[in-house]
Amino acid sequence: MKIVEVNNITKKYNLNRLAEPVSIRNGLKTLFSKKEKPNEYYALNDVSFSINKGDKLGIIGNNGAGKSTLLKILSRITNPSSGNVKVSGKVASLLEVGTGFHPELSGRENIFLNGAILGMSKQEIKAQFDEIVDFAGPQISNFLDTPVKRYSSGMYVRLGFAISAHLNPEILIVDEVLAVGDADFQKKSLGKMKEVAANEKTILFVSHNLTAVSNLCNKTLHLEKGTVKQIGETSQVLKNYMSEVQSKNMYYEAESFASGIGNDLVRLKYAEIKPELAKDLDYWTVNDPFNLHFEFWNTLNDVDLNVSVHLYASTGECIFNIGNQPARFNEGIVSADIAIPGNFLNDGSYYLSIMVVKNSSIVLVNFEELFEFEIADYRENTTWYGKWPGYVRPNFPVKMKQVTSEI
Amino acid sequence: MGLYIKLFSEIFRERELLYILAKRDISIRYKQTYLGIIWAIIRPVLTMLVFLFAFKNVAKINDISGFPIQLIIFSGVIFWNLFANTFQAVSNSILANHNLVSKVYFPRLIIAFSSIAVSLFDFIIGLIVYIILSLFLIQTLSFTLLLLPFAVLLLLFFSIGLGLLFCSFSIKYRDLLQMIPLIVQYGFFVSPIVYTAQSLQISNWFNVYALINPLVGIVEYARTILIPNYEVKSADFIYLSITTCIITFFVGIYVFTKKESSFVDYL
Repeated sequence: MKIVEVNNITKKYNLNRLAEPVSIRNGLKTLFSKKEKPNEYYALNDVSFSINKGDKLGIIGNNGAGKSTLLKILSRITNPSSGNVKVSGKVASLLEVGTGFHPELSGRENIFLNGAILGMSKQEIKAQFDEIVDFAGPQISNFLDTPVKRYSSGMYVRLGFAISAHLNPEILIVDEVLAVGDADFQKKSLGKMKEVAANEKTILFVSHNLTAVSNLCNKTLHLEKGTVKQIGETSQVLKNYMSEVQSKNMYYEAESFASGIGNDLVRLKYAEIKPELAKDLDYWTVNDPFNLHFEFWNTLNDVDLNVSVHLYASTGECIFNIGNQPARFNEGIVSADIAIPGNFLNDGSYYLSIMVVKNSSIVLVNFEELFEFEIADYRENTTWYGKWPGYVRPNFPVKMKQVTSEI
Repeated sequence: MGLYIKLFSEIFRERELLYILAKRDISIRYKQTYLGIIWAIIRPVLTMLVFLFAFKNVAKINDISGFPIQLIIFSGVIFWNLFANTFQAVSNSILANHNLVSKVYFPRLIIAFSSIAVSLFDFIIGLIVYIILSLFLIQTLSFTLLLLPFAVLLLLFFSIGLGLLFCSFSIKYRDLLQMIPLIVQYGFFVSPIVYTAQSLQISNWFNVYALINPLVGIVEYARTILIPNYEVKSADFIYLSITTCIITFFVGIYVFTKKESSFVDYL
């Protein structure tokens, strides 16, 4: 049975008008002047798909792919410019944790307020009140009658999620709410999601956390620039998605000295990042070691050179800087190889820069943000699918043993 | 008609949400104030005292159309405040609750309707003060007081209807927001709030005016209920004002529901 049917929906925004709320004067101007050149942006363009009752649909795609717009249309917050959506069943949408929380009201009052906003009846909230407080944790129950403006952001989020987790709709629409809170709470939230997923409930789940998607969802929709790139079985869609994301920008080659990037002293000839993929996977995961190989043209004779590679997280923090001891080189092509082990970097997006340095101190050239790459998560034998914290994820041995047999 | 039946049944279904949003607005209204609810008394009383001073001490007027100045002014002021606060609250309701509008769907009229709670609450406090004042000044109370909810409802119809119109258009055309304080500031003087309509009623444009500005008819109607022996020369203008109130309400709702789906794109 089809529970959600999306037929050819398109959502366009007029960027000229959207830039600022229109004043009457501008409104009149556009009314009387010749038609302004439309500067339209298609957040969604002719998107169609349907899901069955009980399906768990993951929605993935880059920023700006139209994921949030799709969720807004499905939850009736905004209407599509054309096309239609048929939803049969009670929908609850969680586009944010703690929607409508009022800072001046107490935790208790906000549970009733937020519950009502999300579509729960007073009876339902009353019946589940203790469970909600319990789920939110002991810190909340001690501050139930304190205005939420005095709550820490963690407490705020926990309370918000606890309420959402006790919704009982037929169709649940979730946007990234799991990306909040500390690891401990994330674990709890994902557990709850799994529990919900085990029921006959239909879930639409937008997330950047591919691990969570692959574990919660049986179907996945990949959006790209407002259109459906692919929809189907989660494992297949994720595989294609990862190998596509990773195949970009992993290779550079210049035809000749003149066309290479760099300056008149040093120009880049060739560079490549090559992960050693596991046999049964065709995308790069945290387990895989990788090699960085590059060659450059050097125009200086009898010079002490070394290279320096900086790796950055997508947020801009430098994760590491690898350098080597300077050695003497002459004019010509110089190559360098760096091997980085598997089980070292955590999953996420990274970019790297390469510097060529003279006499250990003078930077001859800096190839900034040369490559951007993404490493996927990979886990076995675990029931926890939250985002693994940290930039690195070393597999250092932990020795654990039973010390005594009594307490 | 079908549209309105559908809307009101939808609102009835979501009455718990309406109630809790209204309760939220009332309970945060006087949070962190020392005097709390007393502010609902201070505001109309202060307005009355200012005009009492102007009339008695400056203009040397001792009564308006033979009735105590205090009663005329106070009855006008509480009704004016009900109009002004409701109108402003409804006009701003969607913008003030943009965090809800952009994250959850429920009938948007709920937000607009729930926003009148505070002004209605303040009105009831004001009415209690009026009754005490009336007992103190003329020692009688009129039995027609039971008709008052009807006058209040009509005024709310007009305030909500006008507010919905401003709300619907101001999300796209923010200029309208600039007009609201002007309406509230000058409307006070062009409506019979600190005077009565009696002096205007002789002019031949008066009925037209009561049609355009229904506060004329409603405030006068309220006075015939609130003040014993208060009379109007002819009730025609009151009917005209009532007509405007009802039409404004339904037009406001109609326009609002036609526009509501695009609100979120302009927030």
